[in-house]
Amino acid sequence: MPQAINNWQMDQKADLGKAPKPQYRSAFRTLASYSKPHRLTFFLVFICTIIAIAAELFQPYLVKVAIDDNLMVGKNDYGSLLVICAVYLGLSLSGLLFTYLQNNLLQYAGQSIVARIRKQLFEHITKQSMAYFDKTPGGSLITHVSSDTEALNQFFSQVLLSLMRDGLTLVLILVMMFQLDATLASYCLILLPVIAIIAISFRSFMRKTYQMARTRLSRLVAFVAENLSGMNLIQAFHQEKEQEKQFRKRNESYFQANLREIRTNVLFNRSFDILSNLSIALVTWVGGKAVLGESMEFGVLYAFITYIRQFFQPINTITQQWNTLQSATVAVSRIWGIFDVPPEVADKQEPLHLRKEDVKGRIDFDRVSFAYAAGTPVIRELDLHVRPGEMLGIVGTTGAGKSSLISLLCRFYDVQEGDIRIDGMDIRELPQSELHRIVGLVQQEPYLYAGSIVDNVRMFDETIAKETVVRACEFVGADPLIRRMKDGYETKLSERGSGLSAGERQLLSFARIIVFQPRILILDEATANLDSHTEQLIQQALSAVSKGRTTLIIAHRLSTIMQADRIIVMRHGVIEEQGTHEELLSLQGVYEELYRHSQGERNDNADKSNSRAGMIEAG
Amino acid sequence: MKPKRLLVEFIRSTWYIYLSSVTLHMVASIVYVFFPHVLGEFTDRLQGGQMTGSDIVRYSLLLLIIGAGHAVIGGFGQYLVMYVGRLFEVMTRRRMFVHFTGLSEHFYSRNGVGKLLSYFMNDVTGVRESISMGVNQTAMATMLFVSSIVAMVVSGIPTYLIVASVGPLILIPWIVTKFGPAIRKRSLRVQEALGTMTESAEEQFGGIRVTKKFAVEPIMIGRFGETVDRIRDNQLKLVRMSSLFQALVPFLGSLSLIVALSFGGYLTIEGEITLGNFVALTLYVRMLMNPLQQIGNVINTMQRSRASLERLNELLTKTPDIREIEGATHVDLSTAGIRIRGLTFSYPDEKKEALRNIDLDIRPGMTLGIVGRTGSGKTTLVKLLLRVYDPPAGTIFADDRDIRELTLESLRSQIAYVPQDGFLFSTTIRENIAFSRRSAELGEVETAAKQAQIYGNILEFPDQFETKLGERGVTLSGGQRQRTSLARGLIKDAPVMILDDSVSAVDAVTETDIVRTIREERAGKTTILIAHRISALKHADQIIVLDGGAIVQKGTHEQLLSQPGLYATIHAIQEEGSQHASGH
Repeated sequence: MPQAINNWQMDQKADLGKAPKPQYRSAFRTLASYSKPHRLTFFLVFICTIIAIAAELFQPYLVKVAIDDNLMVGKNDYGSLLVICAVYLGLSLSGLLFTYLQNNLLQYAGQSIVARIRKQLFEHITKQSMAYFDKTPGGSLITHVSSDTEALNQFFSQVLLSLMRDGLTLVLILVMMFQLDATLASYCLILLPVIAIIAISFRSFMRKTYQMARTRLSRLVAFVAENLSGMNLIQAFHQEKEQEKQFRKRNESYFQANLREIRTNVLFNRSFDILSNLSIALVTWVGGKAVLGESMEFGVLYAFITYIRQFFQPINTITQQWNTLQSATVAVSRIWGIFDVPPEVADKQEPLHLRKEDVKGRIDFDRVSFAYAAGTPVIRELDLHVRPGEMLGIVGTTGAGKSSLISLLCRFYDVQEGDIRIDGMDIRELPQSELHRIVGLVQQEPYLYAGSIVDNVRMFDETIAKETVVRACEFVGADPLIRRMKDGYETKLSERGSGLSAGERQLLSFARIIVFQPRILILDEATANLDSHTEQLIQQALSAVSKGRTTLIIAHRLSTIMQADRIIVMRHGVIEEQGTHEELLSLQGVYEELYRHSQGERNDNADKSNSRAGMIEAG
Repeated sequence: MKPKRLLVEFIRSTWYIYLSSVTLHMVASIVYVFFPHVLGEFTDRLQGGQMTGSDIVRYSLLLLIIGAGHAVIGGFGQYLVMYVGRLFEVMTRRRMFVHFTGLSEHFYSRNGVGKLLSYFMNDVTGVRESISMGVNQTAMATMLFVSSIVAMVVSGIPTYLIVASVGPLILIPWIVTKFGPAIRKRSLRVQEALGTMTESAEEQFGGIRVTKKFAVEPIMIGRFGETVDRIRDNQLKLVRMSSLFQALVPFLGSLSLIVALSFGGYLTIEGEITLGNFVALTLYVRMLMNPLQQIGNVINTMQRSRASLERLNELLTKTPDIREIEGATHVDLSTAGIRIRGLTFSYPDEKKEALRNIDLDIRPGMTLGIVGRTGSGKTTLVKLLLRVYDPPAGTIFADDRDIRELTLESLRSQIAYVPQDGFLFSTTIRENIAFSRRSAELGEVETAAKQAQIYGNILEFPDQFETKLGERGVTLSGGQRQRTSLARGLIKDAPVMILDDSVSAVDAVTETDIVRTIREERAGKTTILIAHRISALKHADQIIVLDGGAIVQKGTHEQLLSQPGLYATIHAIQEEGSQHASGH
């Protein structure tokens, strides 16, 4: 149940959709290939299991020997009874040892396999192009890496263990029974299908009730979580009573599901119990008659009664594993579904190279067209040439293609027509890692990792000295602010840099740029969402960073780009206007209207349809 | 006495269910104890040769009846106790939810949602487990244990043999209590490691653009790999402990059997006990293993849930810090002015003053603008008006009455509040907008949506006003959320409306339209506008400028522009942008 919150969080993140149908065969063939290096371990586990369960299995047999050969006949041979005890003690000790070994070996193999799959999966996902991340919700990726692999882990630690131990126990019990008395054993065999039918039919029903309870539980948790975070609103709108009414509904429905689950559970366990007792009565009856007719020894009957009781436990355990087995299978097919997707943007077989230090920073877009989905082009036959060292401002409405332009230059996507060149070289010829070091990007939401400030600025690259980081921070004006913090540059940032204001986080991402020295710099709405005073600080950092670099700035606040060398206004994937701030104003076009609005000059009589056309939406 | 209150109250109201359940369990145990006894008797008669064919049928039937009786009676007992456990959950959670709705922001600011959820889920479940499982398993196990011993003694098995055979079993509960907490600790560590890995994956996928842009994928893969290895190591540590435990319990059972076999066997040979007694003894030993292990489990569960129970009690005894005084009165805010006198306020547990010596008059029907930097106290002022935090006595008055003497309802149902973050619930858009009046007609909801300039966006969704929001539904952009939240405030049509930077994520053109509608709709009603963009509030009847918690300027837009000061500076930065900035 502590799992409930986890589950809920997972559900929140995941875009679960419809679970694929389990494909047992292919799933386990793949798993088998991962198990190959551990063949020897698995073999050892098998041996250990047999030895481990021997003690428990031989116990009724040994008692039978004691009864039939010693006690029943009234032979006063205490010596052989002691021998039996000694054998049993030996078996128990080896059982203790080998159960321990078996568990550890199996877990070692299983854990190693799961760890390997986890690492490979993460690496594979990281290598995907941005298109993949745009299409796949982050939550479902996390589900794959953590809960799908965890389901796999449970397969190794529970299902496989139970299959081996309980499966073998069942088989061996049957063998022992047939050894002791074939007739009575065959009678007991009749039970097997009955048990199986009861177990399986109950299990599928139980699964349904269990799932119902789980769904209702996650609804309840989601409701409470949301209400807790929105409590100030509930109170401000005086809606406590109303929300409580809704809570009661969910609470009650979860309770009903629970009761149903309990009823099913109790019913199942008890019918299993009754069945077990029924079989004991049967064995006593059939066996008792045989003993009476002298066709069987009493010890055999004793052993049978004990075996029958031992028989039900493993069946119960194995059927319990059914759920886990199913979710593991689904998980395996999901994981391999990811492995099957090759990265969309791939490096050339024999890429050309461009030394970062030698890059001048000239950018050419030649008749570039691009669409995320066929039929709806975002960029249309766009021509754009940027001089080395130029500062270019890009403005435009939502969906005008500003961000797509940038994504193409970063090669998050490949162009569909035309080409993009840096210093005359097609960017598709370059290895992605080189291109990414040449083109730097600062986004609207600066992204910080859990770790120290130094590591965040140098991106955990330990080959970069701390001094370099400090110099970079001084350069962008972040140094005084960092020195004021508790541990200075070693201050640990918690998740996503909480504890720092948006502006301070942005300053750190500028420092990153200084450390990594890209030749071309892109700022994607990097100064939005800041209050006026922080913005000033950022502006200074910006002019420091852009010096000597080709800089592309996307902004919805015109103030950021007014002093750019050139401003382009994009609309529907093409460049509509371009020029300096003054030139564009004198055009009296789209730019001029945007400018008027940003100045807050409200002209209530302004033509409304006209103003709609110039509407820009903030993130 | 206090910490146990929650439980005492619950048991007082459900004691009869408990009593029936415990009784049923006891009866079931007593019935069950006859099982080995009957088998033993059966053995003796068989050995003595006094057995007839009909005896065998009788004994078989007897065994069946005992088994079935135990299963059925015990089953009812089990159901009852599980039922009562779930009942505890339902009742406690209901109580907690009601309690949660009464706690103030001060409480929520110190307790994260995750922590409160863990109270709500894990602690309640923990207590449930120990009161349903604990009480009954103890009762059942004890009963089984005692009646087995009694049965053995009655059937003539010598006491010293019983003591010797059962001896090793007594170690089982002890081992369980020794291993249980240690295993739990290790398994928590596995969970933590798993959590760390999930967080790491979350972080890395969230920042994938950054990782790719700096071409540091190998470093990040290495960082992730470390978290994976940590899970494996922790898991193996857990297995080393838990597998030892799992092997040890049956081993002790075997030891008991060996004692029974050798000692009991010896006594049988010597003729001290019958073969039937010997058979019964071995069966009793097997039968006792389970209940003894359960007793150990119960001890562990109880220990764990005691802490949970204390936490729950502490939470439920926490009194809300914002309360209505007795005889609180109602004031009509559409005619009553709000007067603030000498208001100085600092947040609880903080030394710094968030507001200093505020004097302000808000006449009914006026529009007040509040401007200032982040952290200047704008939102604090609003929170005090809404009594999200209690203002010091004698500082804020409505109609000359201290607002601390008003009913919370009169305050909160007459003020429409539109927060900056645009928090929406995962229900339909319609339900979100009609949050304060669930019965509002669709037409009213549409009007509010039109006023907030969100109507067009809503119509584009597949289910329009019935579109579900949230994780499994449509996600709105920041601007759309703010506008929906604005519609929620507008539909309330309250005498006082507070907009706390409510259009900050909306573009300039839409903002213009919204500001105009608000002016029209709110004409003659009190409206408080907070913004950091001056364009949103410059038409206000009065604008106050806050800085460091104090009012530094007061006046209309034109008055404030004509004097040097913070207002003019902010205006200049916003109007001239970079030209001003680059002048530094």
